Amino acid sequence: MALTITCPICGARNGYEFRYGGEEKGPKPDEAALRSPEAWCDYIHFNRCKAGAQEEWWFHRDGCGAWFTIHRDTVTNREIPGKEAGI
Amino acid sequence: MNRLNHLDTLKIRPDESVTIEYLGKPFQGAAGDTIATLLYGGGVRIFGRSLKYHRPRGLYSLNGECSNTLMAVDGEPNVRGETTEARNGMVVEPQNVKGDPARDLMGFMDKLSPVLPAGFYYKMFHKPASLWPKAIKGIRKAAGLGKISPHFTMKGSFDEIYLNADVCVIGGGPAGMAAALAASQAGLRVILLESRPWLGGFFDYRPGLYDRGRSLADRVETDPNIRVFTRTSVIGSYTDNLITAFCRGDGSDAFDERYLEIRAKSVVTSTGCIERPLLFAHNERPGVMQISCAHRLIRTWGILPGTSAVFSIGDDLGLEAALDLADLGMEIQCVADVREDGQNEALADRLAEKGIPLFRGWVAAASDGDPKVKRVSLTAINGVRSREFECDLIVAGAGQTPVTGPLTLAGAKQRFDRRTGFFLPVDLPRKMHAAGRMLGYIDPDAIEASGDLAGVKAAADCNGADDSKIREAEERLGDLQGPARGTKFIIGPVKTGKTFICFDEDTTVKNVDQAIAGGFDVPELIKRFTAAGTGPGQGGIPGHNLPLYVGLTGQSPDLDPRPTTVRPPLTPTLIAAYAGSNHDMSKRTPMHEEQVKAGGRMERVGVWHRARRFGDDAAAAAEIENVRNNVGILDASTLGKFRIFGPDVLKALDRVYVGSMSRVKSDRMLYSAMCNEDGCIIDDGVLVKRGENDYYFTTSTGRAGSSAEWIRYHTRYENWDFHIVNLTDAFGVINLAGPNARKTLEKVADADLSNDAFPFMGYREFSIKEIPVRAMRLGFVGELSFELHVASSWMPALWKIIEEAGAEFGIRHFGLEAQNVLRMEKGHLIIGSESEQRTTLHDVGLGFLWHKEKREADTVGAAALRHTENQEGRLKLVGIEAQDPQQTPRDGSIIVDEKIRGYVATARYSRTLEKSVGMALVESELADIGTQLEIFEGEKDDERLAATVVPMPFYDPEGRRLRM
Repeated sequence: MALTITCPICGARNGYEFRYGGEEKGPKPDEAALRSPEAWCDYIHFNRCKAGAQEEWWFHRDGCGAWFTIHRDTVTNREIPGKEAGI
Repeated sequence: MNRLNHLDTLKIRPDESVTIEYLGKPFQGAAGDTIATLLYGGGVRIFGRSLKYHRPRGLYSLNGECSNTLMAVDGEPNVRGETTEARNGMVVEPQNVKGDPARDLMGFMDKLSPVLPAGFYYKMFHKPASLWPKAIKGIRKAAGLGKISPHFTMKGSFDEIYLNADVCVIGGGPAGMAAALAASQAGLRVILLESRPWLGGFFDYRPGLYDRGRSLADRVETDPNIRVFTRTSVIGSYTDNLITAFCRGDGSDAFDERYLEIRAKSVVTSTGCIERPLLFAHNERPGVMQISCAHRLIRTWGILPGTSAVFSIGDDLGLEAALDLADLGMEIQCVADVREDGQNEALADRLAEKGIPLFRGWVAAASDGDPKVKRVSLTAINGVRSREFECDLIVAGAGQTPVTGPLTLAGAKQRFDRRTGFFLPVDLPRKMHAAGRMLGYIDPDAIEASGDLAGVKAAADCNGADDSKIREAEERLGDLQGPARGTKFIIGPVKTGKTFICFDEDTTVKNVDQAIAGGFDVPELIKRFTAAGTGPGQGGIPGHNLPLYVGLTGQSPDLDPRPTTVRPPLTPTLIAAYAGSNHDMSKRTPMHEEQVKAGGRMERVGVWHRARRFGDDAAAAAEIENVRNNVGILDASTLGKFRIFGPDVLKALDRVYVGSMSRVKSDRMLYSAMCNEDGCIIDDGVLVKRGENDYYFTTSTGRAGSSAEWIRYHTRYENWDFHIVNLTDAFGVINLAGPNARKTLEKVADADLSNDAFPFMGYREFSIKEIPVRAMRLGFVGELSFELHVASSWMPALWKIIEEAGAEFGIRHFGLEAQNVLRMEKGHLIIGSESEQRTTLHDVGLGFLWHKEKREADTVGAAALRHTENQEGRLKLVGIEAQDPQQTPRDGSIIVDEKIRGYVATARYSRTLEKSVGMALVESELADIGTQLEIFEGEKDDERLAATVVPMPFYDPEGRRLRM
């Protein structure tokens, strides 16, 4: 609950304002590549659940409405400063 | 009222009396009294009975560290008498007693203690299992603290504020005030939190230091950069310096309790110390109290704690208190000090001058008396000699315990320090600092200097590091007396009697031994097994003693004592304070007032207030009939409404909608649905094309808040050029439905509304009496109908125009209930009613909407739609008809044979069809037309309703009426 998140448009804001969008897994493969249920399940439902620095998506729900990624240390629940946030 | 009114350290206003009722009798005290001090001043010595053994309990601390003075106040249980200010007219009752706590009828429980060892309840009622339901009643009656009535309603007003500060200082003692002043001098905005009603902390009850504390407090209180919150206890402390606290109102405040959430750039924790209780036999008998409790009682409240006292102490604060109490008129028979040497000799000399014997290397071994203290036996710590004294007060303390909760909650570690005997906070989170007595400083100058250093460091966190200033402050502190040597952990050599390590849970040293003998060898496990430290005092009494005791036994695998974990809330907090003022964040449509006036029964649907029906009839029969026969008007403004436009808009639409959105023509609507990645249907609605790359679409009411987020999420990698505007609140929607809808609208619209000019599923823009509308010919309720989208500000005017035009055709309102029946008869589904999280597009029979070979094939959910297209064993949406038309199955009732095979989504008695029909999700094997279903409503064990799977829609299967 105490997380502070740096929105690329609005700056550092209270984590309450954002919605989590999952870890960054790269663009979704073509549908053809997801024809096998295993491949589909792997991409859609499996996460790496990394302990440590993780790149992840956040949505500025109570703000500008942008989706962007930040790097967060999942152990300390702190945003890792200095890493460039991307829209 | 017999108080020492001349003391300048008093915090009461003796000329302002306060009267409360206790056990049906009035008790008088002074403004500023807590409930406990008021009653103590009035002669009450026994405040309640303990949780398990029903032992009498008295005033022991003044900080709420134990449950001894928990009382029921005005029906609210477990109010902490020590920290709750007395107010005129309060009705106070003791807890866990039958009658007067001095003569509790359950007192025999104490005699049963030999057969109630630690973990008794865990072990005893395993077998036979049938014993437990019976035993539980007796135990619940005998044990526990406050009682709450099931009909209890929390009174009072609660709210919350969210604050930002440069520096947040926790604790308004000398160190905290020094830190706040240092940060303020650096030009920073400071918030200072103090749990007592006044600033001063360690200085405010001590004769030589009171003035010094007062002048610090004056500077803090007049400093424009410092915002002081007194009566404010910290609850939690989190990553990135988020501090939560609650503030008790002072009686004139607009709130009773207020929740605070503070985000600070830097935090200084200067929470000081509480006392470590002395362990000896019957160490919680009424008449035994902590040193600071006795000292504050006389200095802050002007109450002599007793007439004749024996002290058993372990540090110089005990000597100082004994001297001060003697000066103020109490008889001090002797002072036992666990230290063989190392006392402040000036204090020892003054004791000698007063003729008070000081026993060095002695400690209290047992108290005696029933129910109150009459006698104490002291013993040399080697057990060789002992002496007894008649007294009515034992002032006992074993030293100090640092209050590190706010630091450890935020992630600091604790390390046992052999010099101070403290669990000192180490590895502090960044931008968090500790100061003052919690670090072991006892010298007043050093306490202030350590606060100053923390304030300078906090300022550096905000303004950028200024090493020279930090160095200067460090040097000032370095020149002063360092952390003092702590008091050794000692238990008097006694064999009999109960030595309580935790008062709240009645845990004795013997219980801890039993736990250790049972194989629990670390404090964290012993705490669970014996319940020590799990009571309302939040570990204030056993928190320090338990790990020290376990460390002392030599059984622990740890070389150093290891403390138990501290968790929020640090102070017991009312749920009401967390709940706050409970803002009802709801929305009203532009037609809200008019619908209420028309008899609308409004109810919450998501964030909206909507009319369920108009009038008393829960079935809304007249409304339904009117839509089928004449014309009805419905406020559908809650629909999600969006504009989406830009060069890449079609790609974005194709990504989220299952249909091929390029097929939409400018004068026709396209009905489509959205799925999630699992192929499960999450939304449906219509889309119209209003211009080149410019579209308008609707979503279901529940999805209005998240549609923009959803579309942007699923296009986040592409950087497509399109924009979404949420028009949900900007536009209102009127649904005009019924065979007379066209006749009504034709009277006022400036367009040709004939079936040829404006056919079913058509989209037109025209004006009604100069009000521009976007009109859609939809048929959700199964009749000829027009959905008119109009700017919200025009809604009331348009509504009135249409109502007037429709008067001759029998127009009337209809609400959600009528709409629900009408659309169900027509077999139209509502996402969330006829679907659940695992329901796919195929399951509800909308698979035809999915366009498999779109140009941009990576539609959200397409892969899963392919996987589930012919999957066996799914729940399918079917129409059902109840065998007995008068017995309509309830929504949500389950369909069973040997096991659960599905459930009823919506079912109603249809007046139009004179049958009970509905929709149900059933396993695919039961989905064939004609299958007999059994429905179980859970009312009577065996009774099941019979139903048959029938084709849908039930009403107008050819769809002629909506194409009229």
